[in-house]
Amino acid sequence: MSKLPYHLSGKLHLTGSSRFIADEAPLPGMLYAKFLFSPHAHALLKDLDTSAAEAYPGVFKVITAKDIPGQNMIGHVIKDEPLFPSEIMYAGQPLAMVLAEDISIAEHAVSLIKAEYEELPPVFEVRTADQNQAWYVPERKIESGDVAKALASAEFTLSGTTSSAGQEHFYMETQRARAIPLEDKQIMVLSATQSTMECQEVISHVLGLPAHNIIIEVPRLGGAFGGKERAATIWAVMAALGTYLTKRPVEVLLSRDEDMKVTGKRHPFRSDWTVGYSSTGEISAYELTLLANGGAYADLSVAILERAMFHAENCLHIPNIRIKGRACITNLPPNTAYRGFGAPQGIFVIESIIEKLASKLGRDPLELRRLNMYQDRDLTPYGQRIEHCPLAAVYDKLEANSDYQKLKIELDKYNQMSTLYKQGLAITPVKFGISFTTALLNQGSALVWIYIDGSVSVTTGGIEMGQELSTKVAIVVSRTLGIPIEQIHVESSNSQRVGNASPTAASTGSDINGNAARIACEEIMSKLRPAAAELMQSKWGVQTSADSMVFEGGKISCPRSSDSLSFTELIRYAYNSRIPLAAYGYYSTPGVHFDREKGIGKPFHYYVYGAALSRVELDLLSGEHRLLSVHIVHENGSSLSAEIDRGQIIGAFIQSLGWCSMEELKHDAHGRYLTVSPSTYKIPGIRDLPEQLQIEILESGAEEASVYGSKATGEPPFIYGMSVFFALQNAIRNVNPEAELSFPATPEAILKALK
Amino acid sequence: MDYTYNRISFFMNGKAVSADLPPAISTLDYLNKSCGLYGTKCSCNEGDCGACTVVIAYVREGAVMYEAINSCLYPAAKLHGKHLLTIEALGSPDQLHPIQEAMLRHHSTQCGYCSPGFVMSAFALFAMKQKPDREEILAALEGNLCRCTGYDSILNAMEELSRTQNPETIVPTWARALEPELFRFKTPVLCFNQQSSSLHSSGAYHLPSSLEEAFSLLEEHPEARIINGGTDIMVQVNISRLKIPVLIDISGIDSLRQISLNKDGVRIGAAVTYSDLERSGIVKTDLPWLLELTKVLASRQIRNFGTLSGNIANASPIGDSLPLLLVLNASLILSSKASQRQIPLKDFFLSYKKTALAAGELITEIVIPIPPQGAYIKFIKAAKRKAVDISAIASAICLETDPQGLIKTARLALGGAAEIPKLSSGFSSILGIKPEDINAEELANLLASEFQPISDVRGSAAYRQTLIKNQILKYLDEVSRRQP
Repeated sequence: MSKLPYHLSGKLHLTGSSRFIADEAPLPGMLYAKFLFSPHAHALLKDLDTSAAEAYPGVFKVITAKDIPGQNMIGHVIKDEPLFPSEIMYAGQPLAMVLAEDISIAEHAVSLIKAEYEELPPVFEVRTADQNQAWYVPERKIESGDVAKALASAEFTLSGTTSSAGQEHFYMETQRARAIPLEDKQIMVLSATQSTMECQEVISHVLGLPAHNIIIEVPRLGGAFGGKERAATIWAVMAALGTYLTKRPVEVLLSRDEDMKVTGKRHPFRSDWTVGYSSTGEISAYELTLLANGGAYADLSVAILERAMFHAENCLHIPNIRIKGRACITNLPPNTAYRGFGAPQGIFVIESIIEKLASKLGRDPLELRRLNMYQDRDLTPYGQRIEHCPLAAVYDKLEANSDYQKLKIELDKYNQMSTLYKQGLAITPVKFGISFTTALLNQGSALVWIYIDGSVSVTTGGIEMGQELSTKVAIVVSRTLGIPIEQIHVESSNSQRVGNASPTAASTGSDINGNAARIACEEIMSKLRPAAAELMQSKWGVQTSADSMVFEGGKISCPRSSDSLSFTELIRYAYNSRIPLAAYGYYSTPGVHFDREKGIGKPFHYYVYGAALSRVELDLLSGEHRLLSVHIVHENGSSLSAEIDRGQIIGAFIQSLGWCSMEELKHDAHGRYLTVSPSTYKIPGIRDLPEQLQIEILESGAEEASVYGSKATGEPPFIYGMSVFFALQNAIRNVNPEAELSFPATPEAILKALK
Repeated sequence: MDYTYNRISFFMNGKAVSADLPPAISTLDYLNKSCGLYGTKCSCNEGDCGACTVVIAYVREGAVMYEAINSCLYPAAKLHGKHLLTIEALGSPDQLHPIQEAMLRHHSTQCGYCSPGFVMSAFALFAMKQKPDREEILAALEGNLCRCTGYDSILNAMEELSRTQNPETIVPTWARALEPELFRFKTPVLCFNQQSSSLHSSGAYHLPSSLEEAFSLLEEHPEARIINGGTDIMVQVNISRLKIPVLIDISGIDSLRQISLNKDGVRIGAAVTYSDLERSGIVKTDLPWLLELTKVLASRQIRNFGTLSGNIANASPIGDSLPLLLVLNASLILSSKASQRQIPLKDFFLSYKKTALAAGELITEIVIPIPPQGAYIKFIKAAKRKAVDISAIASAICLETDPQGLIKTARLALGGAAEIPKLSSGFSSILGIKPEDINAEELANLLASEFQPISDVRGSAAYRQTLIKNQILKYLDEVSRRQP
């Protein structure tokens, strides 16, 4: 299989020459920002005396709420989050910004600010918040069939509570922004954001300026994973506000510990459930209440909760189902988007239940999954019809690739022999819905310019953050224009070139932006084709139609002639003939809609399917384990680049394995995160790779797929990491069938479960 | 404010450089802020992520070593007389280095933020080792975090390089050409006073080249703190913003960077790094347990400048090496201008982070007696992650039996279980009995009652109690399986 093309920025990245915001020369006169962060999770800010800080040599200005020219509001969908609060809602909330000539001076000056607080009782537990009815919006519900009746008539029922924990994004590049004053009240903000539109909109409200005064430029991000979708906005606003008030360039750059202390994480969920099932393993009813710990402000919590609800049944068709969800307000930093966006939390519950039922019924969990799995034409709880469901093929492949039946026997043998070590095995499948569930976000734009020498410049609203969106866009442009990748430059994201861009999120980056680029290129092509036919005729007298022209490898040919034109030659001709060489492409995902009140609709353009199998060996005395092997089968349409997708699959798997078995967030009684560095918060390292790893990408040729038949890849494989959790649980249940493993499955949790 | 600056001379990316450094500035800050080089990335600033990895080349025992280090923790003053290689010098987009070429082909980069660090770690590996095996590759890269790729593509690139790469092409010719200069280097460090409006973490940074010089400095600056590798002090400087009036760096004192075999055991000089231990034939032959320990301690980068004596002087209750050194009956040579004394390691730790080190004194050597043949010696480190993690509980054991098979030596030491790393007193209850007659459960319970660990971010007290018990069970299980 060809590994081409390589990462568009690969040569730059590997030589340290790629550009990241703030990892560049300081601008003349630039000021450095440092913040006073609240030490309390819930308090009233009674007084703030910044005079000593302001008087310190080298300090240019100290900015607080009273300096804001426009609205003191950075909440976007739900307008609940001030830039600088009077009622502090989380520990780490910024209360004042010091701007100084030197970062050490700014830092010292922060310590000179005197603040008075009136402490209020904080809430950190989602259950408590829920009992207090502290919700951003009223309860959400999705329902189909008759759950009450089905539960009443079920042969067996089982109830329980399942919890999953938060996760720090740990993007390698911390939060940052630089603002630069331009003429006539225009400000250029270099922001490490996944959403240029939101940054622009919020800054314009805070500064009281029209959006066209705010230019957002994003060269690339050093990782994001959702952590810069909304959580980047506040820092961009800070930089812009600093520049607006001082007319100087301002740099905001969080250190790793600041970043980990003050930014929101993945939502911890707590879910109560009841299932009805038969002795043969059919699940007839599922009732579920999902509680999301949203942190201090709404942020994206409601949409995240909603995606958890949409994924609550994962790959199972359960005829009677009622899914309720409440996103709760607590005094933690506002939890935010994180790869999977609630889906992992929803899926974790049903997969836990299946594992439990299998163990109760003495059945193989895979058999139960097959027995209850979606078939074509089934309806989801929210009424979307399942079509071209490849689950059976995915399971077949996975069984074959892992030699599943033999593996189970091997494991049993091993476990009978071994006293201090036990092996475990688990399969976790996924059905992941692709599209923003907020339908209006499913639109994208691209601007394509072909210059006179035939080189091409493409800007989309998408953000490059390591997912290789740029490479995928270049592949699309290369295919549509029939030119080599080397001729294409995918530009930074910039609100002047592409405005009103949806966040690069929900795995939709290449679907939306790739399609927009394709449409722009097709429009240019619609003019280039007749021009090419004309040129052929004038050069060689070949009579040919515009439609029969073949654009490939930078050459244009037609069946009727052995001669071919070069792309560059055609572009020169087109320019001379006054044919436009640029186009703006616009794409909106067709047919997606959802009625929140009724809980019915077609929120997803399509689904991505797959399954993973993990095999672990657990050391019963230390609680540590080896990940012996992992097999993944991933259905993926017709991939634009199998290598890029493979990188996404493994990257997501390892990140998820971290969430499930290693990464642990702890805060103290005051709501201050204690795990604020990589020495206390452990993300997977290279030694955490499975000893054996096999990935098979199933080309499904699904007709509902997106650009050139490809499917999204960013988030769905995140679900696979859960197989490590369930394999560990399986190993533990070899010792004690009733053992309950808490989340995440750290050695500590494992030893506790074994007790 | 007035600070004592260092004027140092070294080589950077092939060129001779003279630099005036504010005290205790890290190599990373020097690169980013003074040199305008931004390829070396700051992601954690505490040596735990590897994004800032650079390579130093210097002469050690008659050869030039290429070693990866965390530039965020490496005081720039230490560069004196060395050759610093950064990502800027290793290939360019138009002419990739073979490592970069392989990583490009294998899609080993996604967001790119960690990539320069991985390239530099790989460079040091391949510069020193032809055809490294999988374990050597993992050891070289365990100190580099990547949040995007999941590492598989990086490992594949390295394994391919190991199979196919001509080792001659790894170290660039300009770097090889400079090696003789490193042997010839003689220029001293200069100290001078300078005003600065920036606030620096230390008032002065001294780099004595002899013990006498170090003692004089200590006498002159009684408030000074000794810095050796600096892998702990620099974390406090970078993260806790610790201000230290004067720092005296003893890592450049050649006489302290020696490992020797003496009548009383293996003597390890204070400036010996963990990597020195890994390379030492003496350690491999006579203290294989120390070699094993070194492999699971910290990361490649940290091991390249972190020292055993620093781990001891830091006196962390969970210092990884301490339980093993305790059961090996290690002792310390403490020297001052006027005197020298030897103290058993077990008497060195007084209370939390307090040691028996007197004013004006340094640890100059660690003495580890060679245990008798047939002794059962082992250590266990319990942590959340397989590599580069601080333990929740670390322990070590030393058991010996007499010709009748009765236990005549029984030592067990624990780290993370009390305010200091310490030997168990209750463990001696198994003296005089046969290993197979030990009631494992009973002994484990006894030990668990001797130590009262606390709860913190790395684990609850209950978890630590379980670990203490289970580690003992594991030792005893292993002892019972030993061939007599």
